[in-house]
Amino acid sequence: MESDDGVQRVIPFQLQFDKPLASHVRMAEWNPEKDLLAMVTEDSKVMLHRFNWQRLWTISPGKNVSSLCWRPDGKALALGLEDGTVTLHDVENGKLLRSLNSHAASVVCLNWEEDVHLQTNGCGNYLSFEDRTPRFFPPAPRVPRMPGLVSGDAGFTEDGQDSFMEFSNSSNQRFNILCSGHTDGTLLFSIFGIFPVGKINIHSCRVPYVVQNTQTMCRLLNSSIVKVALSKDLSHLTVTCHGELVEDSTELRDGQMGGHCMRGLHCFLLDTSIFQKRKKELHQVAQQASNIDDLREVARASISVMNKQWSDAMSTFHEKFNSLSNLISDHGLDSSPQEEFLSLLLGARTSPPIHQFLVNSLGESGMKRVSKVVSNAGKELQLVVLNHLQPAAEIIAFRMGELRGFSRWHARYQGIGLDEALMDCAAEKAGMLLVQVERFMRVLSSVVQQFSNFFTWLLKCIKMLMSEPSDQLLSYNSELVVVFLKFLYDQDPVKQLLDTSEADHHIGIDMETKQRVRELIQFGGFLDAEFLERTLAKEFLQMELSFKEAVGMPFSTISKKIICEKFLLLSPLTTLPSYVPISLSYYEDPSRKVSFSNGQGNLLVDYISFQISDDDSAYIGKCIVILRGLTNVHERINMGENSIEAVLLSVPDGYYCVDLSLYKESQIVLLLNEGKDTSDSSGNAYLMILQASELPFSQISISSHINDWELHQLKDSILHLKIESEKARTIPHPVISPLAVSASRGVACVFAAKKRALVYILDEDEEDESSDSE
Amino acid sequence: MSVSKSQMLMLKLQLLHEHSLHRGQLKVAQCLCDELGFLASPVSGVDMDLKIEASLRHARTLLAAKQFSKAAAVAQSLFCMCYKFNLHVQNANVLLLLAEIHKKSGNAVLGLPYALACLSFCQSFNLDLLKASATLTLAELWLSLGASHAKRALTLTHSALPMILGHGGLELRARAYITEAKCYLSDPCFSVSENPDVVLDPLGQASEDLQLIEYHELAAEAFYLMSIIYDKLGKSNEREEAAASFRTHITALEDPQDETNEQYN
Repeated sequence: MESDDGVQRVIPFQLQFDKPLASHVRMAEWNPEKDLLAMVTEDSKVMLHRFNWQRLWTISPGKNVSSLCWRPDGKALALGLEDGTVTLHDVENGKLLRSLNSHAASVVCLNWEEDVHLQTNGCGNYLSFEDRTPRFFPPAPRVPRMPGLVSGDAGFTEDGQDSFMEFSNSSNQRFNILCSGHTDGTLLFSIFGIFPVGKINIHSCRVPYVVQNTQTMCRLLNSSIVKVALSKDLSHLTVTCHGELVEDSTELRDGQMGGHCMRGLHCFLLDTSIFQKRKKELHQVAQQASNIDDLREVARASISVMNKQWSDAMSTFHEKFNSLSNLISDHGLDSSPQEEFLSLLLGARTSPPIHQFLVNSLGESGMKRVSKVVSNAGKELQLVVLNHLQPAAEIIAFRMGELRGFSRWHARYQGIGLDEALMDCAAEKAGMLLVQVERFMRVLSSVVQQFSNFFTWLLKCIKMLMSEPSDQLLSYNSELVVVFLKFLYDQDPVKQLLDTSEADHHIGIDMETKQRVRELIQFGGFLDAEFLERTLAKEFLQMELSFKEAVGMPFSTISKKIICEKFLLLSPLTTLPSYVPISLSYYEDPSRKVSFSNGQGNLLVDYISFQISDDDSAYIGKCIVILRGLTNVHERINMGENSIEAVLLSVPDGYYCVDLSLYKESQIVLLLNEGKDTSDSSGNAYLMILQASELPFSQISISSHINDWELHQLKDSILHLKIESEKARTIPHPVISPLAVSASRGVACVFAAKKRALVYILDEDEEDESSDSE
Repeated sequence: MSVSKSQMLMLKLQLLHEHSLHRGQLKVAQCLCDELGFLASPVSGVDMDLKIEASLRHARTLLAAKQFSKAAAVAQSLFCMCYKFNLHVQNANVLLLLAEIHKKSGNAVLGLPYALACLSFCQSFNLDLLKASATLTLAELWLSLGASHAKRALTLTHSALPMILGHGGLELRARAYITEAKCYLSDPCFSVSENPDVVLDPLGQASEDLQLIEYHELAAEAFYLMSIIYDKLGKSNEREEAAASFRTHITALEDPQDETNEQYN
């Protein structure tokens, strides 16, 4: 881009367009794979725009959206809500795919990182586990629809269901971890964004410090997380948070005041190398367990749908037949309806109440209606079992078996906390559930048959009482009628099996069956011989409980293995500001190679950049700080140095930094506004790119004394930023945060204070037309 | 009920046969095997499952008695029968048995093609557990070809482990553990003193499982390996303990006590 005479200038960053917006945007993120921009507006609507600013969809999650991020493959968008829920949405239509509510505190930040190291075909290959389920089973069943609920658009929900199912098929995904930071200092990790695998609270991290020449432990109080970033090899997590660092009260001796308090912006480095070391095992466990989770949902919904349908049918039946007992008492008799029916069946006599009931109050049509309701409900229930409950129970049992296989491989899976005994128990429960489903099916079909036999008989009686011909009717079995009156007329075995409120109901089992169940133990049957006495609903609850217990072990084991490795005070603050421009990222350093378990890769260097806000500028002034190499501190400790690299950039006078973002290849994108502070919004703004790796970084040593601010060492070597000499472009509006930059696509979106969105292509330059015309 | 009774009987006979093979009571095993054969109808082409099961067990009894050529002959004729009646699953089983026979008779090279043929059968018929056990046999065959194949054998064993541990019986699991340990031990790059748990863990598991099923031969092997490892580590107490267990299993194997056999008849 050489200019001939110096008149023609080149303006960096091609402006794609400048469009008005309906409302202010609070957060914006580019899709890592496609040119799509997701934005959250002030009224918590989430919009997805194409690169040409065509809107794809808008959703309003109902609650306040407090953070968002994309899945690394760009196919799902994660939203963190104020109530602590993390929801995942389909990129195609914004449909809700999954909702996870594992911690009830507002989600401040999300970071979803994928393992960058491709699996080589070397020795690591034998652990690449194949999910065998699709080879043996048809596609997993879906959640049955509640009867009576008509979905708005049938075709649309079908699509949603498909993407839902596709989502749960994680076998073709690369291993990835979603990390969410909550306001109360909790960090939650979940594999594929759906399987929670670990949790740590930064308040519980203890930091060694020297206070008044004595070594002590310090803890962070009242902190709130600002931003988190997982390294691309998943072995480090950088957390920045506001808070007060105080001496741990358990470490305080008598009579000593814990008055040493360091308030400000802090940075933690957590060691999450367990994710990298055990990624194959975690991948396999997460894949099986998250699928079981989905199927549990299917089974639970099936049981509640069946319970609802059957109770509706039974209440219709009882409603009709209850009038009989009233009639009996009206006639001054003290017999039960069953006795009356029996005497009718055995031909002793037809008492007036039963005559009146059959001919007048019930009637042929009424009887037929009840019969239809009951038989339809029976059919529906059978369909739910066949299409939903049974396949779900089968796949659950199969997947549990796979998990049990893993749990027995102690050498490999005990490290991630998969416990053999717990998994054995869960697998056994899953098998019992399968038997229970089978038994339920039998009970159901026999009950349905009994009902239809009873109604056939009643119909015949009604015809006879009304002296109508009855030879055309189906024949009935009078023995079965007796059985019906005795066991089914005022009891409901189907409901007993289904109803969770009656879960403690005890089912009588005959001795012979008990004996056989006990005999089966020797052939490898279920160790708990009493399982047939439980109801289906109870068995399901027990299965859920033991499964949760079994997957709870990896969760707590992994949580314990995430430890705080390094701590650094980024900037001391007297008051906690509501917003600090900050960006965390990891870059590969091509000059330094490191070897991994499966080959070589570039060393990952972490970068932290943030602005020191105005009110604590007493020491340094308005500066942008860029820190790097916190992860590699250990490597240098061995060499006798405990230091990191940092550089301070002072923002030119008359400007302040609105937002900044680390961009690809160690570049940093800055957004500067003209004016004194955020309240002053007039004049122009600047978008500029700095090559961070070329800045004069200087080493500073990390102090172990409390109240030391390491960055203060650099006070005298502040680099003054000059807009003219950098790659910068004027924006003719005052701008506001956020600045959305996509490293993979090379685009940036800037939002102006006057509700405008400007999209720039960062890799391309633009010929300045105005200078041409000059 | 009657159907399940006869099935129960069949299962019982199979378990008893297995048990007597493990304990080294070969005469009892042969009787049980014959009894199983009598359950089947004499008509040709009927009760094929039972007949094949019976002669498969016959071959295994011969194998346990170290009559390799006889066992191979039975297995060959069984293979022909399975082929005639198009019984692919049983065919894969017979192929695996042939591989085992060659392995035990010391002709590992001859066993390899049978194991591989079994593997390809299993792959096309989705017989995952059989495939895993064929993989294990393959690993054992490679291992018996020399220490230079230990790495390959270990990879094969590891690929079969999740399947075997999840769905295999105690015997298969124990065999897999022992093979894993043997792979490590015969690998020249592996050092016991550095990480003894890598070998002691699987051997401990295996010996536990084998004691449950009273499989003396393999249990003796597991304890033998354990005592050698303990000896190398200098833990003499543990070594003595393992050696004592080794001796009990070896004597039990060489002197099968037949009186306990009464309880079954």
